Amino acid sequence: MAEKVIQEEKRVFMTGNEVVAWGALAANAEIMYGYPITPQNEIMHYWTRLAPKNEREFLQTEDELSAGFTTNGGVMAGRRAFTATAGPGNTLMQEPISMAEAMRLPTVTIVQQRGGPSTATVIYSQQEVTLTTLGGNGEGLRVVYSTATHQELFDYTIKAFNTAWKYRFPTFVLADGYQAKMRESLVMYDPASKGIEMFPTEPFVGKEGTPGVDREPGHFRNTYNVEEELYDVLQEHFADYNKMTPEVAEYKEIGSKESKVVVIAHGVVARGAKAAVEDLRAEGFNVGFFRPVTLRPLAVPELREVANNADKILVVESANGQMDRLLKEAIYGCSAEMLSLFKPGVGITAEEIEARVREIV
Amino acid sequence: MSVQLAMPNCWRMESKPHKFCPGCGHGIVLKALGQAIDELGIQDRAVFGCDIGCSLLAWDFFNIDTIQTHHGRTNPVITGIKRANPNVIGVAYMGDGGGYAIGSQHLVNAAARNENITAIVVNNTQYGMTGGQMAPTTLPGQKTETSPYGRDVAKTGNPTLGPEMVSAITPDGAYVARGTVSNVKQLTKFIKNALENQMNGNGFSFVEALSTCPTNWRTNATDTWKFLEKEMSQYFTVGELKAPGSQNEEGQANG
Amino acid sequence: MEGYIGEYASGKSEVAVNRAIDLFNQGHQDVTLVDLDIVEPCYTLRPIKNELQSLGLHVLAWETRETIGLGEAGNVLRAENKWALRRDGDVILDIGYGAEGAKTLNLLEGAKEEENLHLLVVVNIARPMTATVNDIVEYVNGMGTVHGLINNSHLGDDTDIDIIQEGAQMVSQAAKRLGLPLVATAAVQELAEQMNWRDCMGNPVRGLKRYMPCTLW
Repeated sequence: MAEKVIQEEKRVFMTGNEVVAWGALAANAEIMYGYPITPQNEIMHYWTRLAPKNEREFLQTEDELSAGFTTNGGVMAGRRAFTATAGPGNTLMQEPISMAEAMRLPTVTIVQQRGGPSTATVIYSQQEVTLTTLGGNGEGLRVVYSTATHQELFDYTIKAFNTAWKYRFPTFVLADGYQAKMRESLVMYDPASKGIEMFPTEPFVGKEGTPGVDREPGHFRNTYNVEEELYDVLQEHFADYNKMTPEVAEYKEIGSKESKVVVIAHGVVARGAKAAVEDLRAEGFNVGFFRPVTLRPLAVPELREVANNADKILVVESANGQMDRLLKEAIYGCSAEMLSLFKPGVGITAEEIEARVREIV
Repeated sequence: MSVQLAMPNCWRMESKPHKFCPGCGHGIVLKALGQAIDELGIQDRAVFGCDIGCSLLAWDFFNIDTIQTHHGRTNPVITGIKRANPNVIGVAYMGDGGGYAIGSQHLVNAAARNENITAIVVNNTQYGMTGGQMAPTTLPGQKTETSPYGRDVAKTGNPTLGPEMVSAITPDGAYVARGTVSNVKQLTKFIKNALENQMNGNGFSFVEALSTCPTNWRTNATDTWKFLEKEMSQYFTVGELKAPGSQNEEGQANG
Repeated sequence: MEGYIGEYASGKSEVAVNRAIDLFNQGHQDVTLVDLDIVEPCYTLRPIKNELQSLGLHVLAWETRETIGLGEAGNVLRAENKWALRRDGDVILDIGYGAEGAKTLNLLEGAKEEENLHLLVVVNIARPMTATVNDIVEYVNGMGTVHGLINNSHLGDDTDIDIIQEGAQMVSQAAKRLGLPLVATAAVQELAEQMNWRDCMGNPVRGLKRYMPCTLW
């Protein structure tokens, strides 16, 4: 590979989609496969501008099925390969992702959420949580990072490649059209300068030597003959996933374990929720904040601690309870009352959240 | 003194006898492919992708790195691999449903982009693994489980002519041929030409193989052969449709 | 007639909007602001169109209710915008980014013949693609005919005078190599005042009132 993309740490001003392209470059991603869909287009625009200068590759495919399956092929060839999509594209992407889940392929997919169902709107939403965490005909064996700032978009794009290749589960960076388009400053860096080592990649196919002569052939499948065979394979996957969970589950919080009311939000909505909670705390209210960074897997023990200590939990999201359902599963049987502020496909301001909290404290 | 091996070298003994029905054409196509790979000495570079449908039974057929993909998605998986590692010789192997129905957009676009991969579509005029439903290649009047009174072309169209379509949409450099399991020597040559075309970096190389499915055709050996040679040949012309700079002596030789 | 062009998020729209308002406040009667972003369409001016019109400007941009599926079907050139250069008075074009940059102008009637159209490239050195003198020169060279540069180096809310001055130096050097004038440095009102309306290279500083935070981005 050519010289380092980012020579020294630098504060820059960018849109979220560009951040992803630079983050992928910094992570030494080698090839992107993609199909145009708003609001992720500038990831491709900037990747295609930057790729030839940095000896990286790009393929524009005929649809998201193809973008996903070529990405599967790219990682099987042993490359850090990724794709980006949104909305109806994410719907199509679930088929290749289910193959990646079944075959433990370390794909990285960036999702810039848009409104739904169907074509709907393109700028902003948090309505792809269910699809991204649990989509496909499977058991949701994926890792989903939900980012809130441009710095996180950079950090977690890099991290996604390492999580994917270390644990071999398809990994997502879940943002939204607002993050994709808004401008914000961040610090770009070379991962090595922060002590971040890129987890080594390895080809599934096309290794050295002649199969059957120098080595065993790689035979990879996702079809099984009998139910027991599938069951055994899945048990291994579940065991690996559960072993991984404490190592990858991430959250951020403010006083969530000692507050009577806790606001839970993720992604860009968490910015407003955090601001609201900080305001209220400054006024002396007993209010905490909890933000799952990984929506899949969730930080279950910490969430349960919060939900057993607080009287009330207010779930705030730009969807009609998609994260809420994940949370309820995680904290089933805990004592806190669950309240909600859902605005599917619409932004939520700190003022609205603050007003709602004042009603319930 | 040379001994003619019954099986190509790159076949995997441990998975033989194979799992295809007696009289199925897949074994013959895979033998032709195996011989072509042996002759070209690319067992170490080949990556074989098989689709869903009966083609998936080939997932452990060769001593070759193999990926069993999803229905219709073998072309994009092999494309993804080839783009990421151009040293690989990528073979996408599928049935007529995977190639011409559920995966048709991938076939069309891989061909139009002149992807440097080899695609092989096995045409046995119906969906075998799911129990004999009508396929894009089902002949007019042919009875299948979803055309029980015979394929009505007024309602369901005429048989898809895959190689003719691919030939029309590929640029120069592409290789396109239709072979048949009734002429293994020719089929082997076509597949070898296709692989060589990829090795030369010329672009998309495509072979359709007319094949047999006695199980779903409900035919004995004689009638199976008759259907292949007499019925299918009325719609599907065997030969090379496109070959960069080659005057293949077997080009237009039929069956 | 002026056209503002530059990298995505360089601050084109902010500079263009402020320029139009300045001209209007200086007593120009007919000032028309035209949104020509067709790659990522009408995200910038659309939300503030009504506010600008109430000030007395003419604004040629889509309105939210006129469009459907912004970004899907929103990148349609408004017929009115195509004829923008035939309008009387001052015309300020906010030209979008894109691989073909200034070629968007080809879509306007009379763009090739219009001698009074000055194309100004807005440069922010905090944008990685225009972060060095070489990058800026390469970038501007790829744009076809342009008439000057504007230093709009900033970091959004984190902007300080250092980045503006660093930008002034870098963009001046690039301008010199390109044989183009650095028309002005742009900075938010407060910082412009602190700089006493001149950057460290002696270029005039245009004060910016920030309208873009009122838009989606």
